Amino acid sequence: MNHKPSADEKFIIPIGPQHPALKEPGHFEFSVDGEIVTGATVRLGYAHRGIEKATEERSWQQNAYILERICGICSHIHATAYTIGVERLAGVTISPRANTIRTLVAELERVHSHMLWWGVAAHEGGFDTLFMYTWRDRETIMDILENLSGNRVNYSANLLGGVKFDIDQKQVDMIRKGIDFLEERTHYYYQVITTDETFLGRTENIGTMTREQAESLGSVGPTARASGVERDIRVNAPYAAYTDFLIKMITDTAGDLKARFVVRLKELFESYRLIREMLDNLPEGELVVRVPRRIPEGETISRVEAPRGELFYYLASKGGDKPERIKVRTPTLPNWSSVLSVIVGHKLADVPMMLVGIDPCFSCNDRMITLQRKDNSDVWTWAKLRQYGIDYYK
Amino acid sequence: MKIGALLGDVVRSLFKSPATINYPAEPAQAPDNLRGKLIWDNRRCTGCKLCMNDCPANAITLHIIDRKEKRFVMEYYENSCIFCAQCVHSCRSEALRMSNTVWELAALHQEDFKYYYGKQEDVKSLLANEAPGFAGADD
Amino acid sequence: MNTLTTFLNLLIFPGGLFLLIISTVYEWVDRKLVARYQNRVGPRWFQPVADIVKLLAKEEIIPNGVRAELFIGLPAVALAAILASALYTPMFGLQPAFSFRGDLIVVLYLLSAMTLSLGLAGANTIDRFSLIGATRTLTQLFSYEAPFLLALLGPAIVAGTWQINEINAYTGTHLWILITQPVGFLVALIGLMGKLELPPFDAPEAETEIVSGALTEYSGRGLALFRIGKDIELVIGLTLISTFYLGGLSNPLWFVLKTGVLLVVVAGLQSLFARLRIDQTVGLWWRIGALLALFQLLAIIVLRLVL
Repeated sequence: MNHKPSADEKFIIPIGPQHPALKEPGHFEFSVDGEIVTGATVRLGYAHRGIEKATEERSWQQNAYILERICGICSHIHATAYTIGVERLAGVTISPRANTIRTLVAELERVHSHMLWWGVAAHEGGFDTLFMYTWRDRETIMDILENLSGNRVNYSANLLGGVKFDIDQKQVDMIRKGIDFLEERTHYYYQVITTDETFLGRTENIGTMTREQAESLGSVGPTARASGVERDIRVNAPYAAYTDFLIKMITDTAGDLKARFVVRLKELFESYRLIREMLDNLPEGELVVRVPRRIPEGETISRVEAPRGELFYYLASKGGDKPERIKVRTPTLPNWSSVLSVIVGHKLADVPMMLVGIDPCFSCNDRMITLQRKDNSDVWTWAKLRQYGIDYYK
Repeated sequence: MKIGALLGDVVRSLFKSPATINYPAEPAQAPDNLRGKLIWDNRRCTGCKLCMNDCPANAITLHIIDRKEKRFVMEYYENSCIFCAQCVHSCRSEALRMSNTVWELAALHQEDFKYYYGKQEDVKSLLANEAPGFAGADD
Repeated sequence: MNTLTTFLNLLIFPGGLFLLIISTVYEWVDRKLVARYQNRVGPRWFQPVADIVKLLAKEEIIPNGVRAELFIGLPAVALAAILASALYTPMFGLQPAFSFRGDLIVVLYLLSAMTLSLGLAGANTIDRFSLIGATRTLTQLFSYEAPFLLALLGPAIVAGTWQINEINAYTGTHLWILITQPVGFLVALIGLMGKLELPPFDAPEAETEIVSGALTEYSGRGLALFRIGKDIELVIGLTLISTFYLGGLSNPLWFVLKTGVLLVVVAGLQSLFARLRIDQTVGLWWRIGALLALFQLLAIIVLRLVL
């Protein structure tokens, strides 16, 4: 097939849906000119499983497990957001001990998530040794969480009204020992990423996003905090035990990839400090409080800070034992625009590093896709969309 | 300005024993709290079916053969179970627990994943009622 | 008798069968060392053999838009070039099978022919990943080739000959050139890593950016031939550097020891750095690499004139 390229035909590199750079499917198209990227588009929706629809068919307690499995890395924080919302609808206050244990597992999960991201980012930059070392150290956290809850991922720690398990003294000692070891290793890795020449060559001054850009693009989480935007739900609108155990917000002004690494590593130090503080001051209380099977009518939102940013839940109840509507907005979704608009002008080799710099979680963010068709366009109300789904499966 | 910041670690790793293990040649350690396979104690069960209603994956079916005589059979689909332990917490008579030794649950056939817990005669009568002429019913 | 010896040389030793076997051994040692540096267990001894056997047994898919003759022929050309270049090096510490004046240049040309055919194989398709991989391979070839050549020239000048056999004899009797030309050794070692596309110079086949670079479309037999070619290139590269800088190879024991130590160093350098972008690689080589090599040559010439 003879094909003469015209002068302005762009060379499009597809990354995904299957690509070694992505851990989950997503379709990116980068138009390149030599090695410089001139444009980027994204198409998501490959991991859409219909979870929000599935929650309407299950009881309130069963939904905690379904929603936990939206994401494997940030599973506990999804369940926490959900249970906080349901408890608020039911008008139930849980005991301080359960609250603290919930927050403790959330902080341990944050440590685990940052270490996982850390290794994956090193792998995308071709630094396999660092990838192996950080994942070896991450096994410490996985063992701690397995010892506490019984599973390495999807801890299922939350029940409506409290938590499932208690922490005894032996586990407290084990957690302390693990955290001491990890803190020493984190100091070492901090030193590596801020001084190693080859790694700095891949991360310094790449993907710089100014503070105005970050605010206008609506980015959340460490991506925004690396550009100086002060958004952290744990500080701005504390929930769970963050009202008693205060956390410091970590920001950086550089806004490039290196700043995102630095912010996440410093957050690890804050998490270690908070875990130790919670272990020292574990309050008394029962584990579970009774929550009725039928939740009273109402609607509520709950916002929590997942390792990737702000996680937003909307729950609506019509008084029954099944929810009326649950809507999830995960933090990776607003962060995509920060990658796609900043990446123009960078080299192709920087693309995987920038994609992984926002810590993408594709399974989290596949809530819905909009198709724009040129022939007809119609605006559907939510009731009409729901009826369409019900009729389709008849 | 440093080249090879990991040098000390890399050289030392050559002399350390590797962090990965030769599984399955070496067995893997499991903690006490591990949520493995579900185990049911039929003497404590009262037949309330709360575990069945609360299971998010519909992995438990409790058959009541005779409620007064407390003859129950629990049908457990291991390949549907998500090991969340909600049933353990829903049960008010502490009849369920998750094993911490049986967790290598791979099998070659789908039938191997279906477990029937209960007294032998109860299981047999259940299977006879469900599928007359079932192969195991006459043993 | 002469034809029989030639055949034995080509097929059994030092070319052909012996080279295939020893290349799998070296690949295994390299992978095991890198794994140990990364604190893992590493593959078992038969892993490279199993890889090649599996690849040879799989179906070879010829994609759309390629010239089938080139697609099938280029791996064979690459492997043939590499196998031919082994005939002039002191493989396993014994005398080279064939030797003539100027065979250093021929060997270097044959090694570059392998990289060139890799680049051509990548440019042969319409797949975007292969095209970018081919571009990067050829760019990297242009950047490290000159300093690498100059670094290998240093010992040749001191030995006064361009025949590998005689250079081997010279370095075997004199002080190790590693000590007298350390800068040249450094350039040659790093240049070897660039030639073999080992990390940190593996931008041409960066797994996370362009899948597999020039080899993306290859499967089955073609991929097996390219892989064997790369393994043999590793052995030949190590042999050359040991001959030139580490005091020559006079018997099999020295061969194993010297190339073994060099492999440990190369594997360590592999695990130590992040991947360099292709523009950083070119910048590094054309600025620092070429300057160092030129400086080394200048030092040799000046010292020879003075002493």
